[in-house]
Order: sequence, then C-alpha cells, then structure tokens
Amino acid sequence: MSFLFNLLKGAFLRMLQLIWFGKRKISNSLSIYVKTNTGNTLSIDLDPKWDIRNLKEIVGPQLGISPEDIKIIFAGKELHNSTIIEECDLGQQSILHAIKLPPGKNRLNRKKDTKNLIEESIDEGSEANESGSKPLNETLIDLPLEDSDRHENHSEQEQQQARAHFYVYCSLPCKSVEAGKLRVRCATCGSGAVTVDRDPQCWPDVQQPRRITVHCENHDCQTLLSSLAQKDEGTPQVRYAQFYFKCANHVSLGEKDEAVPLYLIKPNLRNVPCLACTDTRDTVLVFPCEAGHVTCLDCFRDYCVARLRDRQFEFDDNHGYYTLPCPAGCQNSHISEVHHFRLLSPEQYEQYQRFGTEEYVLRAGGLLCPRPDCGMGIIPPDQTDEERSRSPDEDDCRRIQCIGGCGYVFCRRCLQGFHVGECDSQQPTTYSSTSAVSCLSGYAIDPLRASEAKWDEASKKTIQISTKPCPKCRTPTERDGGCMHMVCTRAGCSFQWCWVCQTEWTRDCMGSHWFG
Amino acid sequence: MANIAAQRIKREFKEVIKSEEVAKCAIKVELVNDSFTELKGEIAGPPDTPYEGGNFVLEIKVPETYPFNPPKVRFITKIWHPNISSVTGAICLDILKDQWAAAMTLRTVLLSLQALLSAAEPDDPQDAVVAKQYKEQPEMFRQTAKHWTSVYAGGPAKMSDLDDKIRRLTDMGIEEHNARVALSSYNWDLERATEQLFMTVMAKN
Repeated sequence: MSFLFNLLKGAFLRMLQLIWFGKRKISNSLSIYVKTNTGNTLSIDLDPKWDIRNLKEIVGPQLGISPEDIKIIFAGKELHNSTIIEECDLGQQSILHAIKLPPGKNRLNRKKDTKNLIEESIDEGSEANESGSKPLNETLIDLPLEDSDRHENHSEQEQQQARAHFYVYCSLPCKSVEAGKLRVRCATCGSGAVTVDRDPQCWPDVQQPRRITVHCENHDCQTLLSSLAQKDEGTPQVRYAQFYFKCANHVSLGEKDEAVPLYLIKPNLRNVPCLACTDTRDTVLVFPCEAGHVTCLDCFRDYCVARLRDRQFEFDDNHGYYTLPCPAGCQNSHISEVHHFRLLSPEQYEQYQRFGTEEYVLRAGGLLCPRPDCGMGIIPPDQTDEERSRSPDEDDCRRIQCIGGCGYVFCRRCLQGFHVGECDSQQPTTYSSTSAVSCLSGYAIDPLRASEAKWDEASKKTIQISTKPCPKCRTPTERDGGCMHMVCTRAGCSFQWCWVCQTEWTRDCMGSHWFG
Repeated sequence: MANIAAQRIKREFKEVIKSEEVAKCAIKVELVNDSFTELKGEIAGPPDTPYEGGNFVLEIKVPETYPFNPPKVRFITKIWHPNISSVTGAICLDILKDQWAAAMTLRTVLLSLQALLSAAEPDDPQDAVVAKQYKEQPEMFRQTAKHWTSVYAGGPAKMSDLDDKIRRLTDMGIEEHNARVALSSYNWDLERATEQLFMTVMAKN
C-alpha cells in the first residue's frame, strides 16, 4: 500500500513540477506491449512521465519476477531505471522487452560504459550501482553518410545538439515523408530483445550487415545459431544487429511495420546554406557527392520538377536507377535511394515513375504506342540477322501492333498509323486509321472536316510545323534560338545534329550555315 | 518556382554589386525589370586584348527554373570574336549550355565571359568567319576586333585607314554596319567587300 502511495505521490509531484514550470503539457496515457523472453506479452497503459523503475514495478508482479531482476530493453538498449518513458521515443503500441536477469549475476560487473557510469552518478548520485543506459535516440548522434567522417569525441553539449533525426518514407498507412525512428533487432533470430555493443556512428553502420554486434536475449537464438553453424561452417558465432526504421507518425502496426529511411535528408546541424536559394533551413538534403552539396527541401523539389518537366532525369551507370545527380554537376553524385523523390507530390511522383518506365522501355530497344492516352510500352521481337538482311525495310518489320494496349497498328519508323511504302514525315497524320465519326448512320460528315475537328489535331500540326525529329532517336525537337548546332536533350541520346541538314553536325555545317 | 529564381537572383545581384570586380569597374549588372527575370550585364574588355577599353553590354534572361537551368545570355554590343556571333550576339560557352551547374552565379558567368574575351576558343567557333580569320590572319583579326571595340563598345583606338574604307562604301549608299561586316569578313579587301555587297543587293532586287 505504501508503495502505491509513494508511486502516486511521485507522479503527483512530478506533474506539479511540470505544471509549475509550464514547459511540457501532461500527455495522455501510452499503451504499449511488454514482451518477455519467455514468450509472454503484456499490454500495459503507462503514464509517459513515469520512469523505467515504475514500469518494472508494474511489470514485475505480473510476470512474477522481482522488479530488481528485470531489465527493460528497447531499441537495442537496456534502459536505465531513471529514464523517463517519454524520453524514449516510444509510440503507441510500441514493444518493450522485459528480460529476467539470471540469478546471482551481479549487474555491477556488466557495466562497461564508463560514460554511462558518469552520467548515472551525476543523475542519481547514490544509485550508481544500476545498470542500463540512456535510450538509443538519446545517445545517437547525427549519422554521417560516409564511414570516414565519423564524429570524434563529442562533448555532452555537442551530442545534445547533434542528436539524430531521421526521415522515412512511410508507404503504409501515411503515404508520405515522415519523421522516422531507428530500431534494431537480432539479425539471426529477428528478436527485438537485443542490446547493441556500440551505437551506430555512420550510415554504413546502419545499412550494411555485420557491422555492429549485439547481445541477444532470445533463448531460442542460441539454438538457431548453432543449427545454422552446423549447416554452414562459415556462419559466425557472433550475432549482428539488423537496423530498421519505423514511421513516427502512426501508431505502430507491429514488428513488421517498417519504413524506408531517406538518409540524404538531415537536420541542418552545421547551418549550411542551400546551394540554390542560399537560405539556411532546418532540414536539408545532402547529395552523395564528394563535396556533400546541400539543398533545402523546397529547392530539391523545384530541382526535381524542373528536371522532370524537361524529362532530364538520367539512368545512373552503376545501378541503372532513373535518378538525378547533384545540381552542382558533381561526378558520381546520383541519388541511389529513389524514395527521396517521394518528396514530390503524388502526381509528380507518378509522372517520375511513368517517365522512368518509358525511358527504360526505350533504352531496352522498345517502343511506346504513339496513340494519345495509350503510351503502352512495347518491346518488339528481335529481328534475326537473316530477316534483316532479306528485308531491311520491308513493311512487315515496320508494322507494330499495340498488343495488350489499345490495339493500334503503327509504323515503327515514323510512329504514325501503319502505311505501306516510304514514311512521309511532311505529310500530316494519316487520317485513314480512325474514321469512326463518319460511320454514324444518317449523318454525312465531310471526312476532311472530320479529320480537322479532332481534339489534338491542332497540337499535332503545331508539332509538325515547329519541330524536326532528332536524326538518331526521332524525338520531335524545337529550336528556340541560338545557332543551328542541336544537341538532343533526350536522356541517353545527346546526338549532335544540324538543324539545316538534319544529319550529324560537322565542321562543314559550322563553316557554311552556323546561323542558317 | 519563380520565387526561388527571383530570390536567388536578388542575392547574386547583391553579390555582384559588392564584388571587388565592380569596384575595379570590370563587371557591372543592372536590373531591367522589378521581377528579376531580366538583367543587363556589362563587362570591361580585358587588358592586353583587342577589346581593352571597351564596355560590352549583355542581355541576361533568367528562366523560371533558375538556378537549375542556365540564364540565357547574349551580347547586345556588337563584337568581333570567334565564339560570339557578330550577327546576333549569341555566345558559344559550355557553362551556358550543358555544363551549367546550380552552384554558378551571375558573377561567375560575367567573369567567364570576360575570360572568353581574353582567350578565344577558335576550335569551337560560334562565328565561322571570325574563327577563320582568327586562325589564319591573327593580326588582321586583332585590328578588326579593335576597330569593332572602338566603334561599338567605346574603345579608344581610332583606325583611320579602316574608317576610310567604310566611308568609301557608305558614300556608295551602303549602310555603315553592313559595310563594316562585309569589310571585316573579307579581311578589309575593299574590292571583294564591294563585290559581295552589290551581289547581295542585286539578289534582293
């Protein structure tokens, strides 16, 4: 009874203190799960102002373990008794792990981290004999992209400022870019009841396997590890950490609920101004170039939109992602986590995906159905050498049907309705293929007028009048000034051609009609 | 979109105004409208070049997608230079085309153009006629460029022999600039220039 009284008194005083200072408002209760290494799961409602000791006092009786014999593990850390719940970046329905300490084990011996010891003695004074540490989100500093520029010897204050913030793309249910939470589990058994042997210090620590070892509390893990070792002698006898991210915006949907980390987005701890607008913003995107060029998120969006509008995304050479390099033109600076483009609006992202798919089809030697609103990707069967030598220009080879799409039959070379004989690029679109209008009974419609009264006819004509096709990829190209030297802007084409000759650009063009 | 462009140009504008090059009167920039979409640049002809003493005015158009796309720049002042069109003032400079990067600024553009005046790249010519002369008759090129600088860019040199030749043609009713272009293109050969000019006139008739 006196325990309950003390508890209430403690909570009451703490609340009073908070109200007094008026810094934080009292939050509502937090529903979490406590999982044990014996397979039990408890559902518990907590007050975020409680500390871990309070939690142990609640959990202990329910598990039939003395509170002193429990350790609480969360996100790879054993939590310190004095840690306040709300400091642990726990969300609703988060899972804590409660582990019963083996009897007779002196917790004092398990302390390795002298820094934690010092912190404890500052915080608690007399209670220096407790184990555990601060939660991961409190100890973790900002992760540099590269292994090489790890932070060294941070002072407490620097560490406070440099506390890591993560951004993730949450595909379900938020469908947006959100704040993220770093979590860790055992790479062998998948259990969350692990403590990391050291904090990750750079992104490779988090992203690459076998960088950080863990101590796994799962009883079954040892058996699993031994059986794996029997099968394959190369399996190491140590356990490694597997880091993953969760979206901080929605209530946890269980252990399988993960989100993609957008590791190029960072809090702007070094106050670097944006490359484009030169403002210094709180959150920035750091490009993976050697210089680490920085843009604010607004400018990053504008950069993407400007490139998207001109279809100027590129395939990076290493992975083949349809992506963008650093806007300062650095070498090897392509973004390889394309979820960063989720910063765009859903419509723009959809356009990005469509362009990427189309460019991929074209790059693979395919075609896109030229019929408006279709655009189906078609990869025609390869002609055999024999066929090609027998009939290089024969009609059959040029005849492409949009199978699986709209069924349109078109000419492979000029992308107009299929025709027999030579392509005539000057001729307006052939009207013969679609003449449904004149089929209505009782109406006699002048076919010529019908052909002009089509929705996109004006655009087609404008394109025909104002553009010339790139001699290599046949992309309609408009010249808006300057000289006659054209460089095709289609990604991957870059053909240099002469507007006058409509062939490759030569020194003769330069000499005789640079300006037409 | 346009916001970033305008904001960025405003800052770059200030950067140019405060730069030491402005203090030395080497570059200058002025606003043409309030929306920062068009500016007027000016660069001084670099010393020890035929352009020395001249001031060259540039038209700078800032696209909505600036700084992710380059500004459109051309010479308003007529200039005799292998990489600049003597007709339209169009400039052939990689950083204004595919080598543009978002980290470049008005100041770096103006300084690059000034550097282009110091060191032409005749292998990548914008103006083929000028490039040919630059390579084959460097002294003739220098004289011509100097002459153009003095006539169009306020350069100091007075070249009476060249002026005389132009006067001969203007006396025949040829417009002065056309006369200058024809003479410059034919290495100041009066006979060939006249021939070419009258052939064009006849062709027009």
